[in-house]
Amino acid sequence: MTESQETTSRLLRGVHRTLTGLHPAFESVLAAIVGLLMGALVMWLWGYDPIVAYKSMLLGAFANKWGLADSGAIAAPLVLTALTFSICLRAGMFNIGAEGQLIMGGLATVSVGFFALPPGLHHIVALTFAMIAGGLWSIGPALLKLTRGVHEVISTIMFNWIAHFLSIFLIGTLLINSLSADQTIAVPASAIFSKLVRGTDLTYAIFVAIAFALIVYFVLWHTAIGYEVRAAGLNPSAARYGGIRTKRTMFLAFLLGGLSAGLGATMILMGSSSTHAMYRLHGQLRNIGFDGMAVAMVGRNHPIGILFSAMFFGGLSAGGRLMQLSSSPVPVQMVRLVMGVIVFTMAVPELAKIFPSIKEQTVTLGQGLKRLVTSSRGRRST
Amino acid sequence: MSEAPASGNVDGYYLRAENITKIYSDGTVAVRDVTMELHSSEIVGLLGENGAGKTTLTKILSGLLPPTKGRVISPRGRIRFTSPREALDFGIGMVHQHFALVGTFTAAENVALSHEHPFARIRLARARERLETLMEESGLHVPLDVPIEKLAVGEQQRVEILKVLSRDVDLLILDEPTSVLTPLEVDELFVLLRRLRDAGKSIILITHKLKEVQSVTDRIVVLRHGELVGDVVTVEATTEHLAKLMVGDVLEQEAGAVELSNEEFPVCRDRHAVDRTTDSVLHVESLSSRGNTGEVAVDDVSFDVYGGEIFGIAGVEGNGQSELVECLTGLRMPFEGTATIKGTNILGKDPRQIYRLGVAHIPEDRWELGLVLPFTLAENAILGVHRWEEFRGPLGFLRWGKINHHVRSLMDRFEIRATGPNAPAKSLSGGNQQKLIVGRELAKDPSIIVASQPTRGLDIGAAKYIRDLLVEMRGAGRAILLVSADLDEVLALSDRVAIMYEGEFMTVCPPENLNRERVGLLMGGVTEKEPVS
Repeated sequence: MTESQETTSRLLRGVHRTLTGLHPAFESVLAAIVGLLMGALVMWLWGYDPIVAYKSMLLGAFANKWGLADSGAIAAPLVLTALTFSICLRAGMFNIGAEGQLIMGGLATVSVGFFALPPGLHHIVALTFAMIAGGLWSIGPALLKLTRGVHEVISTIMFNWIAHFLSIFLIGTLLINSLSADQTIAVPASAIFSKLVRGTDLTYAIFVAIAFALIVYFVLWHTAIGYEVRAAGLNPSAARYGGIRTKRTMFLAFLLGGLSAGLGATMILMGSSSTHAMYRLHGQLRNIGFDGMAVAMVGRNHPIGILFSAMFFGGLSAGGRLMQLSSSPVPVQMVRLVMGVIVFTMAVPELAKIFPSIKEQTVTLGQGLKRLVTSSRGRRST
Repeated sequence: MSEAPASGNVDGYYLRAENITKIYSDGTVAVRDVTMELHSSEIVGLLGENGAGKTTLTKILSGLLPPTKGRVISPRGRIRFTSPREALDFGIGMVHQHFALVGTFTAAENVALSHEHPFARIRLARARERLETLMEESGLHVPLDVPIEKLAVGEQQRVEILKVLSRDVDLLILDEPTSVLTPLEVDELFVLLRRLRDAGKSIILITHKLKEVQSVTDRIVVLRHGELVGDVVTVEATTEHLAKLMVGDVLEQEAGAVELSNEEFPVCRDRHAVDRTTDSVLHVESLSSRGNTGEVAVDDVSFDVYGGEIFGIAGVEGNGQSELVECLTGLRMPFEGTATIKGTNILGKDPRQIYRLGVAHIPEDRWELGLVLPFTLAENAILGVHRWEEFRGPLGFLRWGKINHHVRSLMDRFEIRATGPNAPAKSLSGGNQQKLIVGRELAKDPSIIVASQPTRGLDIGAAKYIRDLLVEMRGAGRAILLVSADLDEVLALSDRVAIMYEGEFMTVCPPENLNRERVGLLMGGVTEKEPVS
């Protein structure tokens, strides 16, 4: 190995170390391309011009600071709900409860409208309220799993529905806005993040999301607790052998995920929302928990990866609005189709693992046929 | 040494294996040039240690595994199947150690399920009818309408046997069928097997228990290291003879354990240096523990391990060694007894606390327990010590700089070949993975090392390296508890040897006092006190 190669490989290893787990980024890019191509195919079949549509979408999302800002505004809550999913997946669990935890976080956020505090302090109180609410809501499924063995997929789905109906009840009663009965009291101005880019939805709230992602990264990869969480997620028996209390790591992962999802609601209610209030069916918050799972997958369940993939999904949504206005007006629902195909493509690497066995069987079959042919030929000649 | 087969119909055979050799793709020779015959109305015992090739041979006999060389023929022609279903259609059925039953289904449903092709309608009533006749015929009774998971293990086994019998098999293969049964259930099973033999079936009983194989079989085939070393009529065989056949021939036995220390095994002989007048490092008293299925796996075991000695535990695997190690390393809670390390109780403590007392644990399964395979070398090198001050700084932050430095020194000291601290553990060879585990454990500066199957699956070089390390640690005054199914290894390395059988220590003595015949008898559950025929 020459000296320059040595340096390069050391550099690459350094990059690898910093972004542990990020190296399959290429796969995510590939999935995104496949998703966009499938979208193009559908557009073409329905008589739209995919090039025009995509051009307006991508330009709208990423070409200027206003586009980027709107994409970022949509990305911010997705980062946090994606983290919820990823932290738990790293701990070996499939937590799909971000949706419910997000709603609970939202209820807690708007409740700061009941009291007045100076700006800054009011922000901190609102963020804390949201995190506590999301965290508390995640403790339910965590305890059910750890004490009664209830599978987290079942319990989180149920907790999502409980949160849904509880929020409808609270929005219509305790939190109701006496002037406008279809919504809650609003987050007061003293707790709202100011705009980062004027004329867009992007506020300083996005820094909270980025900071939280970085914190999660440092916790998972640079602290003993995070190490334990990841070890228990990858091999619970080895973790137990290593003196790790797996129940504790699972509980912590759930709790951290809940904090993150709760915080997700503040990105909207203290940030991008125009009314800073929740509506009866919490339309602004809907599906952000579930979309976060797609973001997490494409981000390879790595906090840094999630930042990029959330930006990509945010761009799709922000640019999708403009796509409708282009000379080839594709309905905005196309964005969800593209997202679906991407998620599907992401699952393909797992499918590809089946291929070696298929290959093996084909080879065996081929050898069998060959033997058959040679034996019949041999018989004929004798 | 091949005696005449015991069966009455010498002229006809049911199956005949000719010069069977099986070499697995990784180069392991599992079976070497075995020729044997099976007859109807005969119970054949297949005797051998772990890894003697018993299971491989039966898989080949039942046509499930193609031999590398040789062939299996029946009077109806050569045998080669691609699935257990085909083998069943031919008339060969196998009852595995782990039952293939659906726990929530009843016996009738399970049997019906095994009869039909995947898309056929399940005809439960017909299966029931058939089962009832079969139960009458065989005298084998099971409750038909109770879910399998509610049945005792012995009953489950009977369902499994019924399931196979209901397919009209002529050859029934049972893989260690008695390991999960109570003594009473074993007796019942043997009555059943005899009845089936009298009805004309051919039966293969895979086992390592000498008494059982002598009490029920007509003929005994002994395998050692894949070779057929004995094919004897049961009534003519003595227990000593069988034991000798199983663990090694007479010449090796007379040579004694000391001579085993050839270049593969480090010489470790200065036993008088062990000072047993001081307090022991590990003290275990009347320890009893249950296994995973609730059976008593460790039964009233007491022993001491002193600094500067290797205490070896030999025995056929599955006789409680794993459970004993788990009890001593915080992974299992025994229901009785005490265990202390330098006077401190360790029962009820978790592994982290036990490591703090100076225990190193080289686990038997390096993939399942010893390593987190997707983790890097560095991450694996701190498993269990990740909370120690050298690696964990303020606020719980890991000191990756120090950890990587530590890993590099481990790589140097223990000759771990890898691209660097950030190579994933799964990219390492088996030997290097084991060296990583051993290195990590020895770096704890332990006072006692619990090494469970430390050289299993390793090539000779890596195995020798690890044995050398254990001897070196012994020389440095550490106490070592060595559990291994490799008899040669235990006898060569240990200062004292315990032979474990069904959760009990059959004996504890220096290896010089043992010869291979006695070891074979003890491993097969025959104590010297009992008279042997």
